[in-house]
Amino acid sequence: MEEEEEAVPVRTLLANRHISPEMSSCFLDEEKFRQCCQLFLEHSDSLSDGWRWESVKDSHEGYLRKTALGTSRRRSNPDQISEREQQQTSSDPHQEKTSLSLQNNNDGIDDGALCCLREGSSGVVIQYEYHILYSNSYQTPVLYFRASTLDGKSLSLEDVWDSVHSNYRQRLQNGPWDTITQQEHPLLGQSFFVLHPCRTEEFMRPVMQAALEADRQVNYVVTWLSVVGPVVGLDVPLSYCTQVPAVPHCTFNSLHPAAVETSPD
Amino acid sequence: MAAVSRDKDSADQKLQFAPFSSALEAGFWHQLTQKKLNDYRLDESPKNIKGYYYNGDPVGLPTRLTLEFSAFEADGPSPARCCPVTGTLYNTNTLEAFKTSDKKALLEQQSKEIWEAIQSDAALKDPSLLCSFLLLTYADLKKYHYYYWFCFPALCFSEGIKILKQPVTLAEVFSPRQTSGLQAAYDRLCIDTGTSAVPYFLVKHSEAAVEVALLRHWDSFITDFNKVTVGVYDPCTLPQHPGWPLRNLLFLIASKWGPQLGVLEVLCFRDRTLQGTRNIQHSIVFQVKLPVLEQSDNTVCPKSVGWEKNPKGAMGPRMVNLSECMDPKRLAESSVDLNLKLMRWRLVPSLNLDKVTSTKCLLLGAGTLGCNVARTLMGWGVRRITFVDNAKISYSNPVRQHLYEFEDCLGGGKDKASAAVDRLGKIFPGVVAEGHVMSIPMPGHPVNFSAATVSQAQKDVEHLEKLITEHDVIFLLMDTRESRWLPTVIAASKRKLVINSALGFDTFVVMRHGLKKPKPCDATDSSPSISSSASSSSSTPAEPAHLPAASLFSNIPGHRLGCYFCNDVVAPGDSTRDRTLDQQCTVSRPGLAMIAGALAVELMVSILQHSEGGYAVASSSDDRMNEPPTSLGLVPHQIRGFLSRFDNVLPASLAFDKCTACSQVVLDSYEKDGFNFLSKVFNSSHSFLEDLTGLTQLHQETQNAEIWDMSDDESI
Repeated sequence: MEEEEEAVPVRTLLANRHISPEMSSCFLDEEKFRQCCQLFLEHSDSLSDGWRWESVKDSHEGYLRKTALGTSRRRSNPDQISEREQQQTSSDPHQEKTSLSLQNNNDGIDDGALCCLREGSSGVVIQYEYHILYSNSYQTPVLYFRASTLDGKSLSLEDVWDSVHSNYRQRLQNGPWDTITQQEHPLLGQSFFVLHPCRTEEFMRPVMQAALEADRQVNYVVTWLSVVGPVVGLDVPLSYCTQVPAVPHCTFNSLHPAAVETSPD
Repeated sequence: MAAVSRDKDSADQKLQFAPFSSALEAGFWHQLTQKKLNDYRLDESPKNIKGYYYNGDPVGLPTRLTLEFSAFEADGPSPARCCPVTGTLYNTNTLEAFKTSDKKALLEQQSKEIWEAIQSDAALKDPSLLCSFLLLTYADLKKYHYYYWFCFPALCFSEGIKILKQPVTLAEVFSPRQTSGLQAAYDRLCIDTGTSAVPYFLVKHSEAAVEVALLRHWDSFITDFNKVTVGVYDPCTLPQHPGWPLRNLLFLIASKWGPQLGVLEVLCFRDRTLQGTRNIQHSIVFQVKLPVLEQSDNTVCPKSVGWEKNPKGAMGPRMVNLSECMDPKRLAESSVDLNLKLMRWRLVPSLNLDKVTSTKCLLLGAGTLGCNVARTLMGWGVRRITFVDNAKISYSNPVRQHLYEFEDCLGGGKDKASAAVDRLGKIFPGVVAEGHVMSIPMPGHPVNFSAATVSQAQKDVEHLEKLITEHDVIFLLMDTRESRWLPTVIAASKRKLVINSALGFDTFVVMRHGLKKPKPCDATDSSPSISSSASSSSSTPAEPAHLPAASLFSNIPGHRLGCYFCNDVVAPGDSTRDRTLDQQCTVSRPGLAMIAGALAVELMVSILQHSEGGYAVASSSDDRMNEPPTSLGLVPHQIRGFLSRFDNVLPASLAFDKCTACSQVVLDSYEKDGFNFLSKVFNSSHSFLEDLTGLTQLHQETQNAEIWDMSDDESI
């Protein structure tokens, strides 16, 4: 991943590591990220939760990915969509003709198809796609997501917003999650929404420090996802928190002053 | 045999299948676009692709055949609990080819392949051949419109399939032990075959045990043709209907063993995990009697169906417009807007961005200030930016004027106004920029050399009047003082907000001109007495009682603020300490234009956020500790900056009743006599305006006063 401009404050924080070793407990290096993901995946498989690791062709890079379906609660959405479809059809008079000719061809056959099913009759079906990537700049996981209707058309952020539960919507606008923005997926080059990682350290620090003080090992990815996932409609079953092991000897505070001095940055 | 009179009942008992709904992930279209651009290009030949259906949806979701970005890797892995389906992509080069392609023939061809696989027993060995799809597409990559039509071929019996026993859930027919036996047996089958899902299988169940087997083991596995149970990995969630994949299996069974078969029991295997708990009890079981195929059916490919209906329920293609998420220009627009909205979510929730982005800005001058103002406006998401400048780009310009490059200077240099427009479009294609190469007539610069020069000046004035009328905010960013006069007069007359910025060597001024009250004819709700207040003397402020009293330098409402020319005479409060601006001089510290240009735009934005806009009371440096009047803070009249001290001050000053640009007498003359008046100003020396406004007389009085002062001094 390219170094981003916003990385500067993180560097400043990193520069402070030798002053306060505990600070580093809120960051995650890439190897630990991979280990956390591996353990995460194993649990997902056991639950059939649908997470999988996607590798990028001809590269060592990859990401965790999950797709999920839901129906939009949005009242106006079906109308909008049908309106859109209507416009499309009416703007294309030939289309009507092709469809008619095909219908004639089907005459005389009992097609055996259940025809009472119409899309949109019970709300619009939305496909959600979640990717967990590692950010080198922030040394944290980053959640990329997008949502689309069944035809592959991405929803605007407003539409995604409306499908977020209202309890969370309130929190999103006030909490440290007010950082959803649109960015190119660093590995796919496609447009995604991102929970910007600039605040991740801020809300992970107390959690990781509390765990550290209680001498309790936690899986960073699980903890992080259980905080950020629900706000974008991503369900994280409780068993992840109770059953996914921490990375063995996952000493997030292992960056001793000596280690910092020899580190390349 | 159903009697004719019981037609309705028998129709009710015909088995109906839930058709597939095509489900395309956004990544599929991205990948198709890449393939079309890089691999397929004009190649229209069929391509192998791959989709899958998932078993385990909650009730209510349509039965989907999903294609994701990996659809083009035909032998890639499928996600867990998903059954891969091979398909054929027909991507046409033109919309016409998409429309005219013979859908009937495509379906028949694909059906024939399935039928032949049944006849040759290939489908018995590899039952996944029974379920396949066609995808006809046309990608309009200019508009990012994608036309597509799916087909899920299903061979049809000439009559319907009679249901003998209506579907019930597995829980109703299987004991818990049988259920777990089935689940375990199915999982073993998957492990044995090395797949995550076996699409079709055979089942034998008794009180004691449940066994399953692959289709190809029919002969050894099925012993009693009166009690045959087949299993299908069923993506459907409806309690009364199987999904589409069952169709061709039933045809295969009828074709192979139909005549010997009595009742056929169908188990639609449904498998979902909720909250970590796996369950198959919602699977459904029903019994059918398969129609007997005529002898001829085994030699001639049967009829088939399968083209997907569009969302309106009609037989027709679908179209999806992905310009919003794929057109780089649209992406740039939405990203810019979203980035700005971030401000609103937490920092400034009441920020009215639409008011800013919809503002039409006229930039008079496309030099150092113009370039910086334009870029800052774009940063705020402003879409309409118009430049006026008559200069060409010279070699010294690009290092300070950020919209130009060295190349732009060659061959005599491009016109700044048009080069600036081109560059804005490159920076952000969503901008609506215009450039006008024209001169602005100036006082004391005669235009009466010939009839042609007079007519040109008249055209320029009309052009400028038209531009000012068409825009909301006028930025004065020229390098001379005189050239600001005409737009100041026109904008004051047309009640347009003016933001003026001028540079000295290390000092600058950024100011808003006072916005005169609406004319009586323009605003019916304002009384004549208020609108005439602009002509009232500055020494007798007549303000509504609820406003704090305006003094010479504080609490001045927007309509009584001075313009650039007023302030030329009425100096700001602390000007005695501050160096005066050398407005004729274009030599300035290089950072100055960036500061002043940025402040000019930020001042505009703050004004737009104020409920009274240009009529807002001017904030001053003293207001820095007070409750700010807008969500963004203060709305000053002027910002005067002194780079030598790295200091800004926020003076405010009243309109001057003898101003050479915005005083009532000047505006009246302009509105009454138009170009006749203006040409007199252009052609005469400065004394014409000074006589008109009474400045001459004022100067006289001032001089006299000074003489008296001096004589007083001398007397000491």
